[in-house]
Amino acid sequence: MITQPATRGPDADLVRASWTQPEAFAELFDRYSAMLYRYVSKRLGPEPAEDLVGETFLVAFSRRRSYDLSYTDARPWLFGILTKLLSRHHRSEAARYRALLRAPVDGHVDSPAERVASGVSAQAVRPELVGALAALPAKDRDVLLLVAWGDLTYVEVAQALGIPVGTVRSRLNRGRRKVRAALGDTNPLQEEA
Amino acid sequence: MDDLKLLRDLGAELEHRPPATLARQRNRLLTERPRRRRIGWFVTALAAVATAIAVAVPTLVLSGHETVPPPVGARPPKVTGAMNILLVGTDSQAGTPRFRTGARSDTIMLVHLPADRKQITAIAVPRDSMVQIPRCGSAPPRRDMINSAFDKGGLTCTVKTIETLTDVRIDHTMEFDFAAFKEVVDALGGVEILIRKPIDDPKAKLKLPAGKVLLDGEKALGYMRLRNHGDGSDVQRIKRQMTLLLAMLRKGQSLLDEPGRLRGFLATATRSVKTDPAFDLETMTALAMTMDQPAGFVSITVPWKPDPRDPNRVVWKQPEAGELFERFR
Repeated sequence: MITQPATRGPDADLVRASWTQPEAFAELFDRYSAMLYRYVSKRLGPEPAEDLVGETFLVAFSRRRSYDLSYTDARPWLFGILTKLLSRHHRSEAARYRALLRAPVDGHVDSPAERVASGVSAQAVRPELVGALAALPAKDRDVLLLVAWGDLTYVEVAQALGIPVGTVRSRLNRGRRKVRAALGDTNPLQEEA
Repeated sequence: MDDLKLLRDLGAELEHRPPATLARQRNRLLTERPRRRRIGWFVTALAAVATAIAVAVPTLVLSGHETVPPPVGARPPKVTGAMNILLVGTDSQAGTPRFRTGARSDTIMLVHLPADRKQITAIAVPRDSMVQIPRCGSAPPRRDMINSAFDKGGLTCTVKTIETLTDVRIDHTMEFDFAAFKEVVDALGGVEILIRKPIDDPKAKLKLPAGKVLLDGEKALGYMRLRNHGDGSDVQRIKRQMTLLLAMLRKGQSLLDEPGRLRGFLATATRSVKTDPAFDLETMTALAMTMDQPAGFVSITVPWKPDPRDPNRVVWKQPEAGELFERFR
Protein backbone atom coordinates (compact mmCIF):
# COMPACT_ATOMS: atom_id res chain seq x y z
CA MET A 1 0.00 0.00 0.00
CA ILE A 2 1.57 3.25 -1.11
CA THR A 3 -0.92 5.82 -0.02
CA GLN A 4 -2.45 5.13 3.30
CA PRO A 5 -5.84 6.75 3.74
CA ALA A 6 -5.70 9.43 6.38
CA THR A 7 -6.62 7.76 9.60
CA ARG A 8 -9.53 9.28 11.31
CA GLY A 9 -8.47 10.48 14.73
CA PRO A 10 -10.84 10.99 17.61
CA ASP A 11 -13.02 14.12 17.55
CA ALA A 12 -11.38 15.35 20.72
CA ASP A 13 -8.07 15.71 18.85
CA LEU A 14 -9.78 17.87 16.24
CA VAL A 15 -11.33 20.08 18.87
CA ARG A 16 -8.01 20.43 20.61
CA ALA A 17 -6.29 21.26 17.31
CA SER A 18 -8.88 23.93 16.63
CA TRP A 19 -7.81 25.77 19.77
CA THR A 20 -4.69 26.86 17.94
CA GLN A 21 -5.77 26.28 14.32
CA PRO A 22 -9.42 27.28 13.96
CA GLU A 23 -9.56 25.72 10.46
CA ALA A 24 -9.34 22.28 12.03
CA PHE A 25 -12.88 22.75 13.24
CA ALA A 26 -14.17 22.55 9.67
CA GLU A 27 -13.23 18.88 9.67
CA LEU A 28 -15.73 18.34 12.44
CA PHE A 29 -18.34 19.95 10.22
CA ASP A 30 -17.49 17.54 7.42
CA ARG A 31 -17.86 14.61 9.75
CA TYR A 32 -21.18 15.44 11.32
CA SER A 33 -23.09 18.14 9.44
CA ALA A 34 -24.95 15.62 7.27
CA MET A 35 -25.92 13.53 10.28
CA LEU A 36 -27.22 16.57 12.15
CA TYR A 37 -29.04 17.75 9.04
CA ARG A 38 -30.88 14.47 8.70
CA TYR A 39 -31.86 14.59 12.34
CA VAL A 40 -33.24 18.14 12.14
CA SER A 41 -35.02 17.41 8.88
CA LYS A 42 -36.95 14.65 10.63
CA ARG A 43 -38.01 16.92 13.46
CA LEU A 44 -38.53 20.24 11.70
CA GLY A 45 -38.45 19.58 7.99
CA PRO A 46 -35.78 20.63 5.51
CA GLU A 47 -36.29 24.42 5.52
CA PRO A 48 -34.92 25.36 8.94
CA ALA A 49 -32.50 22.42 9.04
CA GLU A 50 -29.69 23.99 7.07
CA ASP A 51 -29.55 27.11 9.18
CA LEU A 52 -29.85 25.21 12.45
CA VAL A 53 -26.95 22.95 11.54
CA GLY A 54 -24.85 26.00 10.68
CA GLU A 55 -25.81 27.62 13.96
CA THR A 56 -25.00 24.49 15.92
CA PHE A 57 -21.47 24.50 14.56
CA LEU A 58 -21.06 28.21 15.17
CA VAL A 59 -22.07 27.78 18.80
CA ALA A 60 -19.85 24.71 19.11
CA PHE A 61 -16.96 26.62 17.60
CA SER A 62 -17.35 29.49 20.03
CA ARG A 63 -17.34 27.02 22.92
CA ARG A 64 -14.58 24.76 21.65
CA ARG A 65 -12.28 25.76 24.48
CA SER A 66 -14.67 24.46 27.10
CA TYR A 67 -14.95 21.07 25.38
CA ASP A 68 -14.09 18.19 27.70
CA LEU A 69 -11.30 16.39 25.85
CA SER A 70 -11.96 13.16 27.73
CA TYR A 71 -14.96 12.67 25.44
CA THR A 72 -13.41 11.36 22.29
CA ASP A 73 -16.72 11.39 20.41
CA ALA A 74 -18.11 14.89 19.81
CA ARG A 75 -21.57 13.75 18.77
CA PRO A 76 -23.24 14.05 22.20
CA TRP A 77 -21.78 17.55 22.54
CA LEU A 78 -23.09 18.61 19.13
CA PHE A 79 -26.49 17.01 19.71
CA GLY A 80 -26.66 18.80 23.06
CA ILE A 81 -26.12 22.17 21.43
CA LEU A 82 -28.55 21.31 18.67
CA THR A 83 -31.19 20.26 21.19
CA LYS A 84 -30.95 23.62 22.93
CA LEU A 85 -31.29 25.43 19.63
CA LEU A 86 -34.23 23.19 18.73
CA SER A 87 -36.01 24.23 21.91
CA ARG A 88 -36.80 27.52 20.18
CA HIS A 89 -38.75 25.57 17.62
CA HIS A 90 -40.81 23.30 19.83
CA ARG A 91 -44.00 24.96 18.78
CA SER A 92 -43.37 24.71 15.08
CA GLU A 93 -42.25 21.13 15.60
CA ALA A 94 -45.53 20.19 17.25
CA ALA A 95 -47.38 22.08 14.52
CA ARG A 96 -45.53 20.06 11.91
CA TYR A 97 -46.56 16.78 13.51
CA ARG A 98 -50.13 17.96 13.69
CA ALA A 99 -50.00 18.92 10.02
CA LEU A 100 -48.74 15.41 9.22
CA LEU A 101 -51.64 14.13 11.29
CA ARG A 102 -54.12 15.92 9.04
CA ALA A 103 -52.45 14.70 5.87
CA PRO A 104 -54.78 12.32 4.03
CA VAL A 105 -54.69 8.72 5.13
CA ASP A 106 -55.95 5.92 2.99
CA GLY A 107 -59.33 4.43 3.74
CA HIS A 108 -58.33 1.97 6.44
CA VAL A 109 -61.10 1.12 8.82
CA ASP A 110 -59.05 -1.21 10.99
CA SER A 111 -58.14 -0.07 14.45
CA PRO A 112 -54.50 0.94 14.84
CA ALA A 113 -54.02 -2.15 17.01
CA GLU A 114 -55.01 -4.44 14.19
CA ARG A 115 -52.80 -2.62 11.75
CA VAL A 116 -49.80 -2.93 14.02
CA ALA A 117 -50.56 -6.51 14.88
CA SER A 118 -50.73 -7.42 11.24
CA GLY A 119 -47.26 -5.99 10.84
CA VAL A 120 -48.09 -2.91 8.82
CA SER A 121 -45.52 -0.22 8.28
CA ALA A 122 -45.06 2.99 10.22
CA GLN A 123 -46.80 4.69 7.34
CA ALA A 124 -50.05 3.01 8.23
CA VAL A 125 -49.91 4.16 11.83
CA ARG A 126 -48.43 7.54 11.01
CA PRO A 127 -51.40 9.53 12.42
CA GLU A 128 -51.06 7.78 15.76
CA LEU A 129 -47.28 8.21 15.85
CA VAL A 130 -47.16 11.89 14.94
CA GLY A 131 -50.14 12.57 17.20
CA ALA A 132 -48.27 11.02 20.10
CA LEU A 133 -45.08 12.98 19.27
CA ALA A 134 -46.98 16.25 19.08
CA ALA A 135 -48.52 15.61 22.49
CA LEU A 136 -45.25 14.68 24.25
CA PRO A 137 -43.67 17.18 26.64
CA ALA A 138 -40.60 18.72 25.01
CA LYS A 139 -38.15 17.09 27.44
CA ASP A 140 -39.49 13.59 26.88
CA ARG A 141 -39.60 14.16 23.15
CA ASP A 142 -35.98 15.31 23.10
CA VAL A 143 -34.84 12.11 24.81
CA LEU A 144 -37.04 9.80 22.79
CA LEU A 145 -35.97 11.28 19.48
CA LEU A 146 -32.28 11.50 20.35
CA VAL A 147 -32.48 7.74 20.84
CA ALA A 148 -34.82 6.86 17.96
CA TRP A 149 -33.70 9.40 15.38
CA GLY A 150 -30.30 10.55 16.61
CA ASP A 151 -29.06 7.00 17.31
CA LEU A 152 -27.48 8.03 20.60
CA THR A 153 -27.09 5.58 23.45
CA TYR A 154 -28.57 6.33 26.87
CA VAL A 155 -25.19 7.42 28.14
CA GLU A 156 -24.67 9.68 25.14
CA VAL A 157 -28.09 11.26 25.60
CA ALA A 158 -27.22 11.88 29.24
CA GLN A 159 -23.99 13.60 28.15
CA ALA A 160 -25.77 15.62 25.48
CA LEU A 161 -28.45 16.94 27.82
CA GLY A 162 -26.32 17.10 30.94
CA ILE A 163 -28.74 14.89 32.91
CA PRO A 164 -28.24 11.61 34.79
CA VAL A 165 -28.66 8.36 32.86
CA GLY A 166 -31.51 7.40 35.19
CA THR A 167 -33.39 10.49 34.07
CA VAL A 168 -32.79 9.54 30.45
CA ARG A 169 -34.30 6.12 31.14
CA SER A 170 -37.36 7.48 32.91
CA ARG A 171 -38.02 10.09 30.23
CA LEU A 172 -37.56 7.53 27.51
CA ASN A 173 -39.89 5.06 29.20
CA ARG A 174 -42.51 7.72 29.70
CA GLY A 175 -42.26 8.77 26.06
CA ARG A 176 -42.42 5.23 24.77
CA ARG A 177 -45.35 4.42 27.02
CA LYS A 178 -47.31 7.29 25.53
CA VAL A 179 -46.42 6.27 21.99
CA ARG A 180 -47.56 2.72 22.74
CA ALA A 181 -50.76 3.99 24.30
CA ALA A 182 -51.45 5.94 21.12
CA LEU A 183 -50.88 2.78 19.12
CA GLY A 184 -53.42 0.97 21.22
CA ASP A 185 -50.91 -0.65 23.56
CA THR A 186 -50.27 -3.62 21.33
CA ASN A 187 -46.57 -4.07 21.61
CA PRO A 188 -46.26 -7.69 20.57
CA LEU A 189 -43.09 -8.03 22.62
CA GLN A 190 -45.05 -7.11 25.70
CA GLU A 191 -47.88 -9.44 24.84
CA GLU A 192 -45.55 -12.34 24.38
CA ALA A 193 -43.92 -11.72 27.70
CA MET B 1 -43.67 -4.43 15.83
CA ASP B 2 -41.74 -2.49 18.42
CA ASP B 3 -42.61 1.14 19.01
CA LEU B 4 -39.01 2.32 18.67
CA LYS B 5 -38.76 0.51 15.37
CA LEU B 6 -41.96 2.21 14.20
CA LEU B 7 -40.56 5.56 15.26
CA ARG B 8 -37.32 4.89 13.41
CA ASP B 9 -39.30 4.03 10.28
CA LEU B 10 -41.31 7.21 10.65
CA GLY B 11 -38.05 9.11 10.97
CA ALA B 12 -36.77 7.51 7.79
CA GLU B 13 -39.93 8.62 5.99
CA LEU B 14 -39.62 12.19 7.22
CA GLU B 15 -35.90 12.44 6.63
CA HIS B 16 -34.41 14.66 3.96
CA ARG B 17 -31.02 14.26 2.37
CA PRO B 18 -28.54 17.02 3.08
CA PRO B 19 -28.53 19.38 0.09
CA ALA B 20 -25.35 20.58 -1.58
CA THR B 21 -26.07 24.02 -0.19
CA LEU B 22 -25.25 22.74 3.28
CA ALA B 23 -21.65 23.51 2.39
CA ARG B 24 -22.54 27.18 2.71
CA GLN B 25 -22.87 26.61 6.42
CA ARG B 26 -19.31 25.33 6.47
CA ASN B 27 -18.12 28.56 4.86
CA ARG B 28 -20.13 30.46 7.41
CA LEU B 29 -18.05 28.77 10.05
CA LEU B 30 -14.81 29.76 8.39
CA THR B 31 -15.65 33.25 7.24
CA GLU B 32 -18.32 34.59 9.52
CA ARG B 33 -16.71 33.93 12.81
CA PRO B 34 -16.90 37.55 13.88
CA ARG B 35 -20.61 37.51 13.16
CA ARG B 36 -21.07 34.87 15.77
CA ARG B 37 -19.59 37.23 18.29
CA ARG B 38 -21.93 39.92 17.13
CA ILE B 39 -24.90 37.61 17.52
CA GLY B 40 -23.71 36.97 21.04
CA TRP B 41 -23.24 40.63 21.58
CA PHE B 42 -26.54 41.64 20.20
CA VAL B 43 -28.32 39.53 22.74
CA THR B 44 -26.03 40.69 25.51
CA ALA B 45 -26.40 44.27 24.42
CA LEU B 46 -30.15 43.90 24.26
CA ALA B 47 -30.22 42.41 27.73
CA ALA B 48 -27.82 45.11 28.86
CA VAL B 49 -29.92 47.89 27.40
CA ALA B 50 -33.06 46.46 28.91
CA THR B 51 -31.40 46.01 32.29
CA ALA B 52 -29.63 49.33 32.19
CA ILE B 53 -32.97 50.90 31.56
CA ALA B 54 -34.60 48.74 34.19
CA VAL B 55 -32.04 49.81 36.73
CA ALA B 56 -31.30 53.33 35.68
CA VAL B 57 -34.87 54.49 35.68
CA PRO B 58 -35.89 53.46 39.18
CA THR B 59 -32.46 54.50 40.42
CA LEU B 60 -33.20 57.99 39.33
CA VAL B 61 -36.83 57.73 40.32
CA LEU B 62 -35.73 57.03 43.83
CA SER B 63 -32.66 59.14 44.10
CA GLY B 64 -34.26 62.46 43.29
CA HIS B 65 -31.73 64.75 41.71
CA GLU B 66 -28.40 63.52 42.96
CA THR B 67 -25.54 64.26 40.65
CA VAL B 68 -23.38 61.59 39.17
CA PRO B 69 -20.09 63.10 38.00
CA PRO B 70 -19.89 63.56 34.23
CA PRO B 71 -17.45 61.39 32.30
CA VAL B 72 -13.81 62.26 32.22
CA GLY B 73 -11.86 62.18 28.97
CA ALA B 74 -13.02 62.23 25.39
CA ARG B 75 -16.59 63.32 24.81
CA PRO B 76 -18.80 61.71 22.18
CA PRO B 77 -18.54 63.69 18.98
CA LYS B 78 -21.59 65.21 17.41
CA VAL B 79 -22.60 62.75 14.72
CA THR B 80 -25.57 61.87 12.63
CA GLY B 81 -27.06 58.41 13.00
CA ALA B 82 -27.29 59.03 16.71
CA MET B 83 -30.42 58.07 18.55
CA ASN B 84 -32.18 59.68 21.49
CA ILE B 85 -34.61 57.79 23.66
CA LEU B 86 -36.72 59.46 26.32
CA LEU B 87 -37.32 57.34 29.40
CA VAL B 88 -40.03 58.28 31.79
CA GLY B 89 -40.21 56.53 35.15
CA THR B 90 -43.53 56.96 36.89
CA ASP B 91 -44.48 56.37 40.48
CA SER B 92 -47.61 54.61 39.34
CA GLN B 93 -48.39 51.79 41.74
CA ALA B 94 -51.56 50.70 40.05
CA GLY B 95 -52.46 47.18 41.00
CA THR B 96 -50.48 47.20 44.24
CA PRO B 97 -51.85 47.67 47.78
CA ARG B 98 -50.10 51.01 47.87
CA PHE B 99 -52.17 52.21 44.94
CA ARG B 100 -52.46 55.94 44.67
CA THR B 101 -54.24 57.70 41.87
CA GLY B 102 -52.34 59.24 39.03
CA ALA B 103 -48.77 58.86 38.01
CA ARG B 104 -46.08 61.45 38.14
CA SER B 105 -43.09 61.32 35.93
CA ASP B 106 -40.68 61.09 38.80
CA THR B 107 -37.87 60.46 36.44
CA ILE B 108 -37.25 61.93 33.07
CA MET B 109 -34.16 60.68 31.41
CA LEU B 110 -32.76 61.20 27.99
CA VAL B 111 -30.71 58.27 26.72
CA HIS B 112 -28.35 59.09 23.95
CA LEU B 113 -26.76 56.52 21.67
CA PRO B 114 -24.08 58.02 19.44
CA ALA B 115 -23.77 56.77 15.88
CA ASP B 116 -20.78 54.60 16.78
CA ARG B 117 -22.81 53.14 19.69
CA LYS B 118 -19.72 53.03 21.85
CA GLN B 119 -21.15 54.76 24.87
CA ILE B 120 -24.66 55.05 26.17
CA THR B 121 -25.21 58.35 27.93
CA ALA B 122 -28.19 58.89 30.17
CA ILE B 123 -29.05 62.45 31.14
CA ALA B 124 -31.30 62.72 34.14
CA VAL B 125 -33.63 65.68 34.21
CA PRO B 126 -34.41 66.73 37.80
CA ARG B 127 -38.11 66.27 38.25
CA ASP B 128 -38.56 69.55 40.10
CA SER B 129 -36.98 71.60 37.31
CA MET B 130 -39.00 74.75 36.74
CA VAL B 131 -39.32 75.09 32.97
CA GLN B 132 -41.45 76.68 30.31
CA ILE B 133 -44.02 74.10 29.24
CA PRO B 134 -45.47 74.60 25.75
CA ARG B 135 -49.15 74.37 24.89
CA CYS B 136 -50.32 70.76 25.09
CA GLY B 137 -53.91 70.11 24.05
CA SER B 138 -56.13 72.38 26.11
CA ALA B 139 -53.46 73.20 28.69
CA PRO B 140 -52.00 76.67 28.03
CA PRO B 141 -48.27 77.30 27.94
CA ARG B 142 -46.95 78.05 31.42
CA ARG B 143 -43.93 78.03 33.71
CA ASP B 144 -44.20 74.93 35.88
CA MET B 145 -42.39 71.87 37.21
CA ILE B 146 -41.33 69.62 34.38
CA ASN B 147 -43.13 66.58 35.72
CA SER B 148 -46.45 68.40 35.58
CA ALA B 149 -46.20 68.06 31.81
CA PHE B 150 -46.67 64.31 32.23
CA ASP B 151 -49.44 64.64 34.79
CA LYS B 152 -51.47 67.01 32.61
CA GLY B 153 -50.57 66.02 29.07
CA GLY B 154 -49.04 62.54 29.30
CA LEU B 155 -45.95 61.33 27.54
CA THR B 156 -46.65 63.33 24.39
CA CYS B 157 -46.55 66.58 26.29
CA THR B 158 -43.35 65.52 28.05
CA VAL B 159 -41.72 64.81 24.69
CA LYS B 160 -42.89 68.17 23.34
CA THR B 161 -41.58 69.97 26.42
CA ILE B 162 -38.17 68.30 26.26
CA GLU B 163 -37.89 68.92 22.54
CA THR B 164 -38.63 72.65 22.86
CA LEU B 165 -36.30 73.01 25.84
CA THR B 166 -33.33 71.15 24.47
CA ASP B 167 -33.79 71.27 20.72
CA VAL B 168 -32.92 67.54 20.75
CA ARG B 169 -35.04 65.31 18.59
CA ILE B 170 -36.59 62.43 20.55
CA ASP B 171 -36.61 59.29 18.42
CA HIS B 172 -38.28 56.92 20.83
CA THR B 173 -39.94 56.84 24.22
CA MET B 174 -40.23 54.34 27.05
CA GLU B 175 -42.38 54.44 30.15
CA PHE B 176 -41.58 52.47 33.23
CA ASP B 177 -42.91 51.93 36.77
CA PHE B 178 -42.00 50.03 39.97
CA ALA B 179 -44.00 46.99 38.95
CA ALA B 180 -42.09 46.80 35.68
CA PHE B 181 -38.75 46.81 37.50
CA LYS B 182 -39.89 43.97 39.72
CA GLU B 183 -41.15 41.99 36.74
CA VAL B 184 -37.86 42.38 34.93
CA VAL B 185 -35.88 41.10 37.92
CA ASP B 186 -38.28 38.20 38.38
CA ALA B 187 -38.06 37.38 34.70
CA LEU B 188 -34.31 37.17 35.13
CA GLY B 189 -34.96 34.58 37.82
CA GLY B 190 -33.73 36.95 40.53
CA VAL B 191 -30.28 38.40 40.96
CA GLU B 192 -27.54 37.25 43.28
CA ILE B 193 -25.55 39.78 45.28
CA LEU B 194 -23.09 39.67 48.14
CA ILE B 195 -24.18 41.50 51.28
CA ARG B 196 -21.49 42.36 53.83
CA LYS B 197 -23.61 43.44 56.75
CA PRO B 198 -27.07 42.08 57.53
CA ILE B 199 -29.85 44.47 56.50
CA ASP B 200 -32.96 45.20 58.52
CA ASP B 201 -34.67 48.31 57.33
CA PRO B 202 -38.39 48.71 57.93
CA LYS B 203 -38.52 51.76 55.65
CA ALA B 204 -37.39 49.81 52.62
CA LYS B 205 -39.31 46.78 53.99
CA LEU B 206 -36.15 44.77 53.66
CA LYS B 207 -34.52 42.19 55.89
CA LEU B 208 -31.56 40.26 54.54
CA PRO B 209 -28.79 38.16 56.10
CA ALA B 210 -25.13 38.77 55.30
CA GLY B 211 -23.55 36.68 52.56
CA LYS B 212 -24.67 35.68 49.10
CA VAL B 213 -28.36 36.35 48.69
CA LEU B 214 -30.70 35.77 45.78
CA LEU B 215 -33.03 38.75 45.46
CA ASP B 216 -36.40 38.47 43.79
CA GLY B 217 -38.05 41.51 42.20
CA GLU B 218 -39.62 42.76 45.40
CA LYS B 219 -36.40 42.47 47.41
CA ALA B 220 -34.31 43.95 44.61
CA LEU B 221 -36.60 46.94 44.57
CA GLY B 222 -36.21 47.24 48.35
CA TYR B 223 -32.43 47.00 48.01
CA MET B 224 -32.59 49.65 45.35
CA ARG B 225 -34.52 52.01 47.59
CA LEU B 226 -32.49 51.23 50.69
CA ARG B 227 -31.17 54.37 52.35
CA ASN B 228 -30.38 53.64 56.02
CA HIS B 229 -27.52 51.24 55.57
CA GLY B 230 -23.76 51.53 55.86
CA ASP B 231 -22.90 55.15 56.48
CA GLY B 232 -26.25 56.11 54.99
CA SER B 233 -24.62 58.20 52.28
CA ASP B 234 -25.87 58.49 48.76
CA VAL B 235 -22.45 57.58 47.46
CA GLN B 236 -22.80 54.16 49.08
CA ARG B 237 -26.32 53.91 47.82
CA ILE B 238 -25.24 54.54 44.26
CA LYS B 239 -22.53 51.92 44.73
CA ARG B 240 -25.16 49.40 45.85
CA GLN B 241 -27.23 50.22 42.83
CA MET B 242 -24.25 49.69 40.56
CA THR B 243 -23.64 46.31 42.22
CA LEU B 244 -27.22 45.40 41.52
CA LEU B 245 -26.89 46.54 37.92
CA LEU B 246 -23.78 44.40 37.42
CA ALA B 247 -25.49 41.40 38.97
CA MET B 248 -28.40 41.89 36.59
CA LEU B 249 -26.08 42.14 33.60
CA ARG B 250 -24.30 38.94 34.64
CA LYS B 251 -27.62 37.18 34.98
CA GLY B 252 -28.70 38.53 31.62
CA GLN B 253 -25.55 37.14 30.04
CA SER B 254 -26.05 33.74 31.61
CA LEU B 255 -29.39 33.58 29.79
CA LEU B 256 -27.53 33.53 26.49
CA ASP B 257 -27.14 29.79 26.84
CA GLU B 258 -30.83 29.30 27.37
CA PRO B 259 -32.70 30.65 24.38
CA GLY B 260 -36.04 29.68 25.83
CA ARG B 261 -35.60 31.61 29.04
CA LEU B 262 -33.94 34.50 27.28
CA ARG B 263 -36.93 34.91 25.04
CA GLY B 264 -39.19 34.87 28.09
CA PHE B 265 -37.09 37.55 29.72
CA LEU B 266 -37.13 39.79 26.69
CA ALA B 267 -40.85 39.30 26.30
CA THR B 268 -41.35 40.40 29.91
CA ALA B 269 -38.96 43.30 29.55
CA THR B 270 -40.79 44.57 26.51
CA ARG B 271 -44.21 43.91 28.00
CA SER B 272 -43.49 45.65 31.28
CA VAL B 273 -42.03 48.70 29.65
CA LYS B 274 -44.37 50.86 27.63
CA THR B 275 -42.85 52.23 24.47
CA ASP B 276 -43.94 54.29 21.52
CA PRO B 277 -45.54 52.05 18.89
CA ALA B 278 -42.53 52.25 16.57
CA PHE B 279 -40.12 51.06 19.28
CA ASP B 280 -40.93 47.38 19.21
CA LEU B 281 -38.78 44.36 19.93
CA GLU B 282 -37.66 44.28 16.33
CA THR B 283 -36.44 47.88 16.39
CA MET B 284 -34.72 47.27 19.72
CA THR B 285 -33.06 44.20 18.30
CA ALA B 286 -31.92 46.13 15.24
CA LEU B 287 -30.65 48.85 17.52
CA ALA B 288 -28.84 46.41 19.74
CA MET B 289 -27.33 44.74 16.69
CA THR B 290 -25.55 47.95 15.83
CA MET B 291 -23.61 47.52 19.07
CA ASP B 292 -20.95 44.97 18.33
CA GLN B 293 -18.97 45.61 21.45
CA PRO B 294 -19.70 46.31 25.09
CA ALA B 295 -21.07 49.81 25.30
CA GLY B 296 -20.09 52.04 28.19
CA PHE B 297 -22.84 53.46 30.34
CA VAL B 298 -22.58 56.94 31.80
CA SER B 299 -25.19 58.85 33.64
CA ILE B 300 -25.23 62.63 34.04
CA THR B 301 -27.72 64.98 35.60
CA VAL B 302 -28.70 68.18 33.82
CA PRO B 303 -26.65 70.95 35.49
CA TRP B 304 -28.97 72.77 37.85
CA LYS B 305 -29.11 75.42 40.58
CA PRO B 306 -31.80 76.35 43.10
CA ASP B 307 -34.66 78.35 41.64
CA PRO B 308 -34.19 81.98 42.77
CA ARG B 309 -37.96 82.26 43.15
CA ASP B 310 -38.39 79.06 45.22
CA PRO B 311 -35.47 77.31 46.93
CA ASN B 312 -37.40 74.02 46.84
CA ARG B 313 -37.30 74.02 43.06
CA VAL B 314 -34.41 73.97 40.65
CA VAL B 315 -33.69 75.65 37.37
CA TRP B 316 -31.26 74.50 34.73
CA LYS B 317 -27.86 76.13 34.92
CA GLN B 318 -27.02 77.91 31.70
CA PRO B 319 -24.99 77.82 29.57
CA GLU B 320 -23.87 74.39 30.89
CA ALA B 321 -27.23 72.69 30.28
CA GLY B 322 -27.46 74.09 26.76
CA GLU B 323 -23.94 72.91 25.99
CA LEU B 324 -24.74 69.45 27.31
CA PHE B 325 -27.75 69.02 25.05
CA GLU B 326 -25.92 70.47 22.08
CA ARG B 327 -23.82 67.32 22.09
CA PHE B 328 -26.90 65.19 21.56
CA ARG B 329 -28.52 66.96 18.64
